[in-house]
Amino acid sequence: MGTVIQTTDLHKSFGQVKALDGLDLEVRQGEIHGFLGPNGAGKSTTLRILLGLARASSGGASVLGKDPWADAVELHRRVASVPGDVSIWPNLSGGEAIDLISRLRGGDVNGAYRQRKQHLCELFDFDPTKKGRAYSKGNRQKVALIAALVTPAELYLLDEPTSGLDPLMEAVFTREIHRLSREDGATVLLSSHILSEVEQLADRVSIIRSGRIVDGGTLDSLRHLTRTEISFAQDSVDTSALAALDQVHDLTVTEGRIKFGADSDRVHEVLPLLGSLGVKGLLVAPPSLEELFLRHYGDQVAPAPGEPTHDGAPHRRRHRTVAKTGA
Amino acid sequence: MTTVWILYRQRLRRDRWQLLSWVLSIAVLAWFAVEAITKTFGDEASRAQVLQLATATPAILVLRGLARGPAQDAFTFFEIYAFLALLAGFMNTFMAVRHTRAEEESGRAELVTATAAGRWAPLSATVLHGLVANIVLSAAVALGFMGGGLNPAGSVVAGLATGAVGLAFLGVGLLASEFFSTSRAANGISSALLMVAYLLRGFGDATGHVSPDGMTMTAAWPSWFSPIGWGQQTFAFTGDRLWPLLLAMGLAAACVAVVVLIMARRDVGASVLAGRSGRADARSWLRGPFALALRLQEGAIIGWCAGGFATGLITGSLGSAIQSTFTNNASVTAALRQMVQAQGTSMTQLLIAALFEVGGVLAAACGVQAVLRLRQEEAAGTAELVLSEPLGRVRWIGSFMGLGAVSVVLVMAFTALGAWLSLVASGDTSSAVGDVWATALAQLPAALIYLALPAVVFVIWPRATIPLGWALLGVGVVLGIYGGMLGLDRKIVDLSPFTHTPVVTGGGTDWSGGFWMLGIAAALAALTLAAVPRREVGNA
Repeated sequence: MGTVIQTTDLHKSFGQVKALDGLDLEVRQGEIHGFLGPNGAGKSTTLRILLGLARASSGGASVLGKDPWADAVELHRRVASVPGDVSIWPNLSGGEAIDLISRLRGGDVNGAYRQRKQHLCELFDFDPTKKGRAYSKGNRQKVALIAALVTPAELYLLDEPTSGLDPLMEAVFTREIHRLSREDGATVLLSSHILSEVEQLADRVSIIRSGRIVDGGTLDSLRHLTRTEISFAQDSVDTSALAALDQVHDLTVTEGRIKFGADSDRVHEVLPLLGSLGVKGLLVAPPSLEELFLRHYGDQVAPAPGEPTHDGAPHRRRHRTVAKTGA
Repeated sequence: MTTVWILYRQRLRRDRWQLLSWVLSIAVLAWFAVEAITKTFGDEASRAQVLQLATATPAILVLRGLARGPAQDAFTFFEIYAFLALLAGFMNTFMAVRHTRAEEESGRAELVTATAAGRWAPLSATVLHGLVANIVLSAAVALGFMGGGLNPAGSVVAGLATGAVGLAFLGVGLLASEFFSTSRAANGISSALLMVAYLLRGFGDATGHVSPDGMTMTAAWPSWFSPIGWGQQTFAFTGDRLWPLLLAMGLAAACVAVVVLIMARRDVGASVLAGRSGRADARSWLRGPFALALRLQEGAIIGWCAGGFATGLITGSLGSAIQSTFTNNASVTAALRQMVQAQGTSMTQLLIAALFEVGGVLAAACGVQAVLRLRQEEAAGTAELVLSEPLGRVRWIGSFMGLGAVSVVLVMAFTALGAWLSLVASGDTSSAVGDVWATALAQLPAALIYLALPAVVFVIWPRATIPLGWALLGVGVVLGIYGGMLGLDRKIVDLSPFTHTPVVTGGGTDWSGGFWMLGIAAALAALTLAAVPRREVGNA
């Protein structure tokens, strides 16, 4: 499996503000790669550099083996993208905008194209005859999505592609990305702060914070960072033995249920005890990236880059490196 | 009431520089006019001569106004008032649309309407804002005339006449905003109505009744259908009557009343005329950046060409009228000569050259706008969509500049066509008829500089593109076209591209200025395209 995107020690500064601070990102061929991070972490800046819209201050980036800044035109024939903040021409209809973008990419706007376009419009429940200014945020997003999906590409760079879409449309999107990945073998880099969508789609994830990758790997390999939530009916069960286990955290009793978190990679060590206690109404909730996120960023909410601190100086943020345990 | 006050202050804060520059420019222009007329037509005899020429030449009356005698103050009002009123109209229609339809279109109005401000406070605040702005404008124009040394009472009347027209068009702008779903359409239709008002009074003046001595006149009925016509009917400096301004106030009040009736019934964000829906598929020619540039600007280009054509028609009819009615007048020829910086050419040729400079300015403005569209695309984020496709930045910028060049040529071609048609229709067979094409050609180099100059700014200092683009054009126009009249230093006047536009005089035309400017424009364009590869795409 080759590497499709590789950045090494990528830096990007806007004046005093460091948007990217030594970013090392690797996306392999054929995978759906989740690019996770809070607002202002540098996701869009990274994608803009990968598209050759912005130039790295230092460090290297290669996309499909090319330099995204120097070989932008050549690369864009093979790359489809959805920008983070979609705006379209107010006086062009959605259909016109989609056609224009497809033609710019060199796609043949023939019968097969028309069919695909119509099919996607129906899938996304999108009316292409309205003028750009009349679309809601979600519909503008659909223009960019349909334009990106209608012409096949080797690599898809999607910057928070489902923002503004309703859950139904999110499901359509998830299905389409899965199809691209399975049937066409396309590579997808998907930035998001919507964790459930990455969880559903991504083979591997990279977590970005303050302009650098703080963690990454397959979802499974990240499980060590999360806790699985286990709960069961109180039913006069004696929980003292359970509470004594060091895999068990934050044991509470609420509304007649006993609830605790267990280290996700050690859940199996807790199960025998639960069996011997004969618990009823057992619920085991799988770890979510939500929780993973909380543990990365839960202690503080970082300001967006460029946002000055109270003393007016640009805030130089430090992230807490999560100690890796196990796996 | 407090919400109205808060919103009023927000409007004031938002418009402070913009309105200040509008009001100051209009007032300074009034003062400018007094100065220029004092310099060029200092004595009553020369003014009388010009008036006789004017009243005998309908085309001049269209551009000027209602002759009310050769006294200095009345003559100044005749020369400049219609133009001041036109500018006041633009200031107000833009202001009205900016705070109503544009706010609704952007969605900001929802934010405000959802607060305790409700639906009516924003409108009230806009009306209040307009009232205050036009009172200030009236005072500023009055001070401008007084500063030039004109009669104070007449200056106040002239100032009020300007402000009242402004108020009337505030109403028109508000009403247009009710009808159209986009600020572009609302601005377009109210600007068109303003031009209709200007032309209606022009038509009324041109067909008015002239006194036997050719010094005073009364307007024909069409003037009475135009707010600018009502302003002229104040007879500032000669009659000083204020009652015609009641008509302008009445129009403003009527517009606001209709606006209230409509707003009481419509949803926030809706409009009387619903936005049209578009095509599901793009036309087959919409491929590539040049086609996109054309698709985005086709309306604007048609507008500029229509403006050029009208300018050409007026130029042609003026030129031929002058040839038939007017024999050598030293002071008028001298004034025109200062305007076009040339010696030894015939009156008609000079006049065509002078008026074609207006066409040249239109073409230059069209060029500026074509380049500014690049910046608008970038700031709106649509540039990013296009540049994420296999399309180099050089080709993108080059295409928009290329379309700009094409539209500059088109505007001048339509100007020449208009002039040629009206000259031919008038039966003029002089060499001036053939000269119109060469004269139009001569305007191109200066206009092309105004295509290349903002492009350089766009590449090296993106944020300044729009204000600097228009400012550079404004400075060029003032220096190049009015600099000579104002007696500015030659070195300063020479900074303007318009100064170097070749004056076509049959065989002996000196084209060197044009070639120099073409070279400069080409160098600037090359510099732009050479700098592009280093430039990022963003909205910073």
